[in-house]
Amino acid sequence: MPEPRSTAPRRWAVVAVVAALLVAGPLAWRARPVAADDATAAVVAERVRASADASWSGLVETSGALQLPAADELSDLGRLLGERTRLRAWWQDDRRWRVDELLPAGEHGLRRDGVGLVSWDFERDRATVSRDPDVRLPRSSDVLPPALARRVLDGVGDDDLERLSDERVAGRTALGLRVRPPSPLSSIDHVDLWADRETGVALRVEVYADGQAAPSFTTAFVEHDPGRPDDAEVGPVTGQRVDVEYDEALDIADAANQYAPLRPPGSLVGLPQAEATDGAVGVFGAGTTQLVTIPLRGREAEPFREQLQAVPGAAVTAERTVAAVGPLTVAITGSDDGGLLLAGWVTPEAMGRAAAEAVAGYEYTGDR
Amino acid sequence: MIPVELSKLLRSRRTWMTIAMIDALPALVAVLLAVTDLGPRPGTGPAFLSAVLTDGTLYPLAALAIVLPLFLPIAVALTAGEAVAGEAQQGTLRYLLVRPVGRVRLLVAKLVASMVFVVLAVLVVAATAYVLGVLLLGDESITVTGPTTSVSGTALSTPELVARTGLAFGYAILCMLGVACVALFLSTVVRTPAAAAFGTLGLLVGSTVLLTLDAAQVLHPYLPTRYWIAFVDLFRDPILWRDIVRGTLLQLAYVVVFLGAAWASFATKDVSD
Repeated sequence: MPEPRSTAPRRWAVVAVVAALLVAGPLAWRARPVAADDATAAVVAERVRASADASWSGLVETSGALQLPAADELSDLGRLLGERTRLRAWWQDDRRWRVDELLPAGEHGLRRDGVGLVSWDFERDRATVSRDPDVRLPRSSDVLPPALARRVLDGVGDDDLERLSDERVAGRTALGLRVRPPSPLSSIDHVDLWADRETGVALRVEVYADGQAAPSFTTAFVEHDPGRPDDAEVGPVTGQRVDVEYDEALDIADAANQYAPLRPPGSLVGLPQAEATDGAVGVFGAGTTQLVTIPLRGREAEPFREQLQAVPGAAVTAERTVAAVGPLTVAITGSDDGGLLLAGWVTPEAMGRAAAEAVAGYEYTGDR
Repeated sequence: MIPVELSKLLRSRRTWMTIAMIDALPALVAVLLAVTDLGPRPGTGPAFLSAVLTDGTLYPLAALAIVLPLFLPIAVALTAGEAVAGEAQQGTLRYLLVRPVGRVRLLVAKLVASMVFVVLAVLVVAATAYVLGVLLLGDESITVTGPTTSVSGTALSTPELVARTGLAFGYAILCMLGVACVALFLSTVVRTPAAAAFGTLGLLVGSTVLLTLDAAQVLHPYLPTRYWIAFVDLFRDPILWRDIVRGTLLQLAYVVVFLGAAWASFATKDVSD
């Protein structure tokens, strides 16, 4: 027998209340207020800088809108800056860490074991051991909030800082800070970051390009543990059937830096050569106003040039091609064969001048 | 009531035909992989499908990744969607309710039968895939008792692999329990089993589409298919529990809400069919 129809509204009301609680409960938990902190912007920046030696572990989500030209050598970088990624990281210090890029059907892992670098690709069932040079392409460990925040604060004075309201990030109270680039050459309008109130470790970083209301790149912890990870968690790849390869060069930038018989000029568009420069690849400026120059051979430069010329708004001349991808400006010199690849956080106009100065300033040092 | 429903399920030729059809796709894929030795390019294809060319013992997981997004939910939606609407369409529902059986007990019995169907389907897929994986796939130098490699590149012992595989299949069954409850609820509302099944599949397709849209990100944690593939996280080292836990809680929430809705709908429904 059916129950009396008069009970139906009560039953539906119970179901509706339960459903509402299940939907609203997590939202209410996340929206609980954050206690205000009276630390000044300079104090927050100092805490972030001082957190360089902090240990931690956590899960990071990044979201980027920087669609790089689809060159094979830059495919990992393109995914990192132009897509949504999840990174699981364990950080003891700058010499011992592990960052796994989580893919729906696998994992790309990077492990720094104190000496060298091991990269792991599950779907190819392959581990690659290489040295870990200072001059290289950006990688997953560079877009973790703590690493990116420290880079952003490099060369920034107190006048370039502004306090933002505090927020809760990954369940932790985080102090807000806005950083404006000190140089007019920068293509970045500002960077917003939130740092853990207790440890100073940056938990969320948002990069805004000139004239953009939405961030071009965001990286944020969704889980964060300020404790020191175990040695086992940052340990080596130990699968018995893993094919291990040894690479003399980490990536295209490292290869050019080691083997190209060239030396970069001492400065470009007024930006001095950085200390990291030790070969053919030039690093200029710091923090939010930095650019790199990489000499490329014809077989690497030509497909990249074709891709860059196809970027909407690219400025193509016989001397160079310059294109802006959000706040990242990329240029390649020449119109065929080899050339200099330039990339950095500078305006397209500054990049055009930098490309001309680089062509004139690079020195040939003989065969290497 | 439950034994009656189980007996009907197990004696139905359609049950075994459906399970055979679910099982056919991963079996065909195993044969094709064995013949061609061509796995999907990295970044494409279901999880573990490239890894099984080296280690055939992982094929049950690849088979799960093949059937979980589409085949299994379709079968569950059809089976659970028929629970009440099927009886109504055949004109047997009122006779069922003439017996001294509570409507809630009938609903629970129908749900249990649907879940037994899921467990059977999953077990058949796992067993078939294991046999085919060991016989046809993998490197011959690798034994079934040897350690395998986790997604993170570390060694997984055989007991660890078996335990994690069991958890993965248990998680998949839980995900299908959520689907079954949605279909069961719709089955109490509509008059035909097809309408209940299509309604359920509409929800799942909508969920899958919304998951690809950044604009719908605020909805993502609530979408039923959001965490289905999270079973891959069980094979990372250490296990990444975040999405597994969230997926479990989400499916339990779907079970509570839609089973509650089925109860609210069916307990006061006028049955004339």
